[in-house]
Amino acid sequence: MKFIVCVKQVPGSNEVRLDPETHAIIRDAHAAVINPLDYVALDCAVKLKRRNGGEIIALSMGIPATERLLRDACARGADRAMLLTDRAFAGSDTLATSYALSLGIEKEGSCDLILCGKNAIDGDTAQIGPELAATLGYNLITDVTEVIDIDKKFITAVKTTDSGSETVKAALPAVITLLNGREMPALPTVSGVRYSLEAPVDKYTAAELGADTSRTGFAGSPTSVVKTFVSENTRECRDMGLDAAAAAAFLIDEIRKAGGAQ
Amino acid sequence: MKSEIRPIDESLSEFLRDESRSTGSADTISFPTSEEEIRETVKSEYSQGHRITVQGGRTGLAAAAVPNGGHVLNLSRMNKILGMRQENGVFYVTVEPGTVLSELKKALSSKKIPTAAFDAQSMEAYRAFCASPLQQFPPDPTESSATIGGMTACNASGARSYHYGATRNWVEGLRLVLSDGDVLLLKRGQTFADGKKLTLTSVGGRTITVDLPSHTMPKTKNASGYFTADNMDAVDLIIGSDGTLGVLSAIELRLCPEPEIMWGLTCFFGSEDSAARFVDLTRRAIGNLASLEYFDCGALTLLRRQKEQTTAFARLEKIPEDADCAVYTEIHCQNEDEAYRSLFTVGDIMRQCGADESKTWVARTAQDRDRLYFFRHATPESVNMTIDKRKKETPGLTKLGSDMSVPDEALVRVLHMYNEDLQAAGLEYVKFGHIGNNHLHVNILPRNMEDYKAGKAIFKKWAEEITKMGGAVSAEHGVGKLKAAFLEVMYGHEGIAAMARIKRSFDPAGLFGTGNLFNPADFE
Repeated sequence: MKFIVCVKQVPGSNEVRLDPETHAIIRDAHAAVINPLDYVALDCAVKLKRRNGGEIIALSMGIPATERLLRDACARGADRAMLLTDRAFAGSDTLATSYALSLGIEKEGSCDLILCGKNAIDGDTAQIGPELAATLGYNLITDVTEVIDIDKKFITAVKTTDSGSETVKAALPAVITLLNGREMPALPTVSGVRYSLEAPVDKYTAAELGADTSRTGFAGSPTSVVKTFVSENTRECRDMGLDAAAAAAFLIDEIRKAGGAQ
Repeated sequence: MKSEIRPIDESLSEFLRDESRSTGSADTISFPTSEEEIRETVKSEYSQGHRITVQGGRTGLAAAAVPNGGHVLNLSRMNKILGMRQENGVFYVTVEPGTVLSELKKALSSKKIPTAAFDAQSMEAYRAFCASPLQQFPPDPTESSATIGGMTACNASGARSYHYGATRNWVEGLRLVLSDGDVLLLKRGQTFADGKKLTLTSVGGRTITVDLPSHTMPKTKNASGYFTADNMDAVDLIIGSDGTLGVLSAIELRLCPEPEIMWGLTCFFGSEDSAARFVDLTRRAIGNLASLEYFDCGALTLLRRQKEQTTAFARLEKIPEDADCAVYTEIHCQNEDEAYRSLFTVGDIMRQCGADESKTWVARTAQDRDRLYFFRHATPESVNMTIDKRKKETPGLTKLGSDMSVPDEALVRVLHMYNEDLQAAGLEYVKFGHIGNNHLHVNILPRNMEDYKAGKAIFKKWAEEITKMGGAVSAEHGVGKLKAAFLEVMYGHEGIAAMARIKRSFDPAGLFGTGNLFNPADFE
């Protein structure tokens, strides 16, 4: 089976710096890490490969330095990697990104399962997985916490829902997006790191992918970030000087006034 | 001005305990906020003949901060960074003794230091610090809520002391409030002993003459009793003195640049002998390892059980099924090529020792490293949780933890001794900690009071055996009250008498840290 895991480079610290003009996130290769939920997706692929055999390809779109993170993915179990890197991809929103990724996947020819982290910790949109499925015409299962079974034709997975969880069976090829499961994704090993330094990482430009450049980068991104700001915390603490019963009554009253539950 | 003296009541009872889980007694407590308040309080309490126990974060494991009657001087409110300086490209920071280690580390790594109290020289150094590569204070005891005063008092170290040394290596100067409220100001490189005779002059002009003990210190990692050496620097006498000579009111620390690369690596082994051989070979072959930490079979069994049974530990890494024990190491260097070379050398050495380099966890990002720290810290925490549970059945039980170190050549011998003695006594135990320094913490988990007594007897025996091997009875926790009896085994009666003479020259009435280092009866 062929598994493709989409990984995104995100800032390694909580301090995200924005370009003052474009409002895009400034990506510093050295401090960057793979998005945590993408590790979960990779780990899931590693376990499925262990069970069913096959090949894992880590796929990313990003600056050339993203190669370092793709090699990290190879240290954690990917067999090889693909990096889509071109100035034409700069400034992509999720639509342009999923278009570029879909071209990378098509370049691979056939693929059984695409695994993505549900969302990235920087942009937090959770759109790439669903958009990829739509672009490629694949089935989609979001919010997966466990893959129960996979064979040549179907995947069965548990997904969380607002009211609990559901077990869903879908025909392959499919896209799944992953949430944290019970276990932390496995860490790399020394032998994995050794392998990763030699692992094939194929790089593709927009032209090599045959991309329509009106659908990539800034040109292909209908989303425009008008302004970003850190929201101000306007909550304040007041000492009401009430005992427990009076305080409870006061709170109930306030919640009612705000239109809350009766 | 003297700080408020409060009687100890129920609401303040937590100040009668520390992380050693022993409880003491005291009549009063104060929380000074300045050196002047310490001086006035000490002067008044000391002249009334009250014992004075100094406290910082109360994270110590030898009960040095547990009061033995009298007054508790709690320094937790003295937690300001007082100033900085730069000399020959090296940065120094002066802190109050109650400064919490994790807060200091945060201030250094974020380069955000409150500078309101800084003078012009400090401000200039601070600006240079902000423009420089990241600086660190390397000592890293497991409990990061320890205070710098407490760490100085017990000469704390931690995992990275394998490479960076203990707190002693990083203390550049200090201020010590004396029994009469006078202050002793010591700076490294300024006051030395003449042979074994040390003459000190206080800020107020008083002369203190000290005859240093004639015994030689073990060449291993050591935090046992007063430091002594021919022509030693006076600063070293105060470091590790366990609150028995006076009260620290300020400490100057040396900083060093943080390495560009810090990679963590946990390696699994099928047997203890294989792990010990690995340690021996790695420390000869690789120069940029900051730590070498051990988890024995008992520790891994305990962690596997915790992962299964305790929600808080459910996210612990999954330990390879056939692993008997593990060694954690950390590669610190300036570039990736060097780091890869060390990493692969570790893999090669594992193979030589019959281990498999695919049974490893490599952490090359801060996030992954935190996971390995969580695993490392889960060992002592799990021991404490187990003891707390058993304490409900048998209230007299406490953890029995050793802190002894031996020279390199005695590592295998000491491991065998630990296993043989504990297995012969049928005790449940875990061994973990600083194997790179041949310094393991053996924690006995007594199931009942018989186990507890048997464990105590074994520790006493080990103190003798380890002294014969040229080791130290306390390598990093300090002696405090719990290990005072071992000190005599290590230095003999004459050694203890010589240390008591030092104490008397600082503390004639024997009121500072009563019970620490010395049995109060012996001291009298």
